[in-house]
Amino acid sequence: MIAPQPAAADPILQVRKLSKRFGGLWAVRDVSFEVAEGQILGIIGPNGAGKSTLINLITGHLRPTSGQVLIDGDDVTGSRPWVIAHDRVARTFQIVKPFRGLTVRENVAIGAMHGSERDRSVRDALATADRVLDLVGIAQHAGAAPSQLSVADARRLELAKALACRPRLLLIDEVMAGLRQKEIEAAVELIHKLRDGGISIVAVEHVMKAVVAISDRVLVLHHGSVLTEGPPQEVLADQRVIEAYLGRRYMKRRST
Amino acid sequence: MANSWPTLAGIAVFLAMLGLQQLIEPGTQRLLTAVFLFVALAQAWNIIGGYTGYASFGQVAFFGLGAYTVAVLMNNYHVSFWAAMPVAIVIGVAFAVGIGVPLLRLRGHYFAIATLGAAEGAREVINNMTPVTGGGGGITIPTFGDQAPTAYLGKPGFYIAFLVVAAASVAIAAVLARSRFGYAMVAVNQDEDAAASVGINTTLVKVIAFGVSAAIVACAGAFYAFQQIAFYPTDVFDTSFTVLMVIMVVIGGSGTVLGPLVGAVGLELLAQYLRVNLGIYNQLIFGAIIVLVVIFFPQGVVNFFRDAWRSRNFSILDNVRRYRL
Amino acid sequence: MSQFLQAAAYGFVQGGLLALVAVGFSLVWGIMNVINLSHGALAVTGAYLAWLLNTHFGIDPFLSIPIVAACMFVLGYVIQRGLINLVINAPIFLTLLLTFGLGLVILNTLQLVFTADDRSIETSYASQSFVIWTVNIPYGRLGACALAVAITVLLALVMTRTRLGRAIGATGMDRGAARLMGIRARHIYAVTFGISAALAGIAGTMIATVGTFNPTSTPSQLTLDAFVISVLGGLGNMYGALAGGLVLGVAESIGGLVLTGTWVNAIAMAVLILTLIIRPSGLIGKAQYGGRVEV
Repeated sequence: MIAPQPAAADPILQVRKLSKRFGGLWAVRDVSFEVAEGQILGIIGPNGAGKSTLINLITGHLRPTSGQVLIDGDDVTGSRPWVIAHDRVARTFQIVKPFRGLTVRENVAIGAMHGSERDRSVRDALATADRVLDLVGIAQHAGAAPSQLSVADARRLELAKALACRPRLLLIDEVMAGLRQKEIEAAVELIHKLRDGGISIVAVEHVMKAVVAISDRVLVLHHGSVLTEGPPQEVLADQRVIEAYLGRRYMKRRST
Repeated sequence: MANSWPTLAGIAVFLAMLGLQQLIEPGTQRLLTAVFLFVALAQAWNIIGGYTGYASFGQVAFFGLGAYTVAVLMNNYHVSFWAAMPVAIVIGVAFAVGIGVPLLRLRGHYFAIATLGAAEGAREVINNMTPVTGGGGGITIPTFGDQAPTAYLGKPGFYIAFLVVAAASVAIAAVLARSRFGYAMVAVNQDEDAAASVGINTTLVKVIAFGVSAAIVACAGAFYAFQQIAFYPTDVFDTSFTVLMVIMVVIGGSGTVLGPLVGAVGLELLAQYLRVNLGIYNQLIFGAIIVLVVIFFPQGVVNFFRDAWRSRNFSILDNVRRYRL
Repeated sequence: MSQFLQAAAYGFVQGGLLALVAVGFSLVWGIMNVINLSHGALAVTGAYLAWLLNTHFGIDPFLSIPIVAACMFVLGYVIQRGLINLVINAPIFLTLLLTFGLGLVILNTLQLVFTADDRSIETSYASQSFVIWTVNIPYGRLGACALAVAITVLLALVMTRTRLGRAIGATGMDRGAARLMGIRARHIYAVTFGISAALAGIAGTMIATVGTFNPTSTPSQLTLDAFVISVLGGLGNMYGALAGGLVLGVAESIGGLVLTGTWVNAIAMAVLILTLIIRPSGLIGKAQYGGRVEV
């Protein structure tokens, strides 16, 4: 008798026909994809394609009109954000949301105190915060106020806050926007370091160079639906994707 | 070791106030008793309004409910005060959770008015439950002879009672502020969405903060009822309590433990002074002082001095420009 | 039945008067996100002004309206520019406290100057009424109601058709953007508050004509009414305030018939809370929190 094969591990994130309607507008429509553990999925698409809405739907900040979100095979569709956070899913916000009245260290400590596997005491959380700040590279600003950070450092703080929750899945929303060349390279390096540490990542991005550098696979959203999915080089060469970004008229002019 | 000196200082002050009682005259005792009451109320408001950022304008509802619970139990059912007081707290918390769950979904001004409306509504309901509460005619707690379920505490007794309530409120606030829950409250205050995404159950935090605040206020109301013996609904559901609570916290400095303490002591002493010395002008001056303090110390006196110390900038004029358009 | 009609009619014209009180309050709240707790005190100030004009110069209250409005406008402008502007960027309860303190100062000043006695403006026509079917409608209240409607319409027109009105609306929608467009926000806010104070003053004049007022209880009652009506009608919504006022007037009047004692107040509060929970943008009108003036 052949022993039955053990079931393959569930992908860490499964999104099935996820949809969100605002009045008459479908912001996200029938989006489905999977992220295997240890993978980095890049999500790109022109402005207004629904990328941030998608993140909000997965993390519980918005309730889907229909569809499912599964983390490690468990259905978490429509759960509140803190439930998702306790499921070891963390996110950053496109426009960073630091706790302005607290120091950088305290900002990160909050995640350590309240995320999954939270620290039992404030002191432990502050220690964890210091370690995370070290990891992302802004330990020197630990005692500063968030308003004093540069754009790049503010993004790192946003990342640190998310990392303090000890996530296995991290959703990051346009962390490269407005960064300079060197800063982008450093950010890419950090993301690789995180993945090597065992975190799966979904990265919504606009900066193509970064997308290519970090993603194992890329998903393209257009008008709320999936246009195509595949390895980065393939997707970026796809005519449909180029047309989505640059418009039909540009394509027409190019072909003539 | 740096952490324990505020605690030591607090205990020292408590013992000092206790000892002070022997030295002062009854008039001053009464004044200090009122100060203690407001310290408790201010600390309570600060928990939901200062730390969590949900400025409730209906805290007096819990005060009145606490007062009436004790009065009804003692008058109608001859329950001892010491048994009635915990019930008052429970009722206050129950009401807080009851209105908190729907109302804490509102923000800013809407939450403020909704809680104000809830307080007015609570007063009206009590006002109309005449067979139980005596309605508009007021209620009296029996305090003499064998009619009294508990002997009246007397001025010295109430001095100690309110001192204990005030001390308890300061202690609770101090413990909360340093705890993970305290950080959660502040996080909810500063960015509710971000707080939710790092794992804070924002609904639970808000309701608990509201409930703790209500418990303290209800307890104070219970003691107040016993102290006053006889009162009308308008006495214990007086919006002035709410206004004073808020002013004391704002002037002292919200979001700190020391702020409400400073605000309550300072303002109550000031109010008494005005009442005694300025007669008919006292409300006018009081209003003017509120206006001036809000303009010159919008972040509160304690916070102003804390920030000024840090940045070595004590300029009040600079402070005025902070929130200016 | 005729009792019911009478109550409804009375409540309707009373409601017009209430709406006049609320319109200015709602305007300031909607445009500047300021809850002006001294609104009632300002209204009573207008009432005293009109009373003075009437007792010392014999001017009919309806005719004194332009004078009262002008004086109150200046007062409001100065208060906003000099005081409220200083804390406008602060957390909300600071403006609440500031206006509360201001209200205390105003009403205590009035009390010291005029004493706490009830006063009213006597006119020959206000208490007379005309009768439709069996329903008695006093001329004074009818005039006030008509004035309220006229002013609301006028204000709505100003908001949508004039440059000033649109500047006010723009500043209410997005102050930063408005300033980038060259709108002087400080001045606009002061004008808005001035208009609100003028409206309060007019309302006070009307209240003095149809009933009595005093500096101790009238201000807080008026502010509370303005609250409820603004929430019902939607912040910054002029027609909403009018409708809200009428609804409240009729509801209170009929409620007084049907219910005993102070259950009416309790129910008004319950309605207020339910509105906030279910439809915070207002039962009747549509408005945005801190948003634009809608017509």
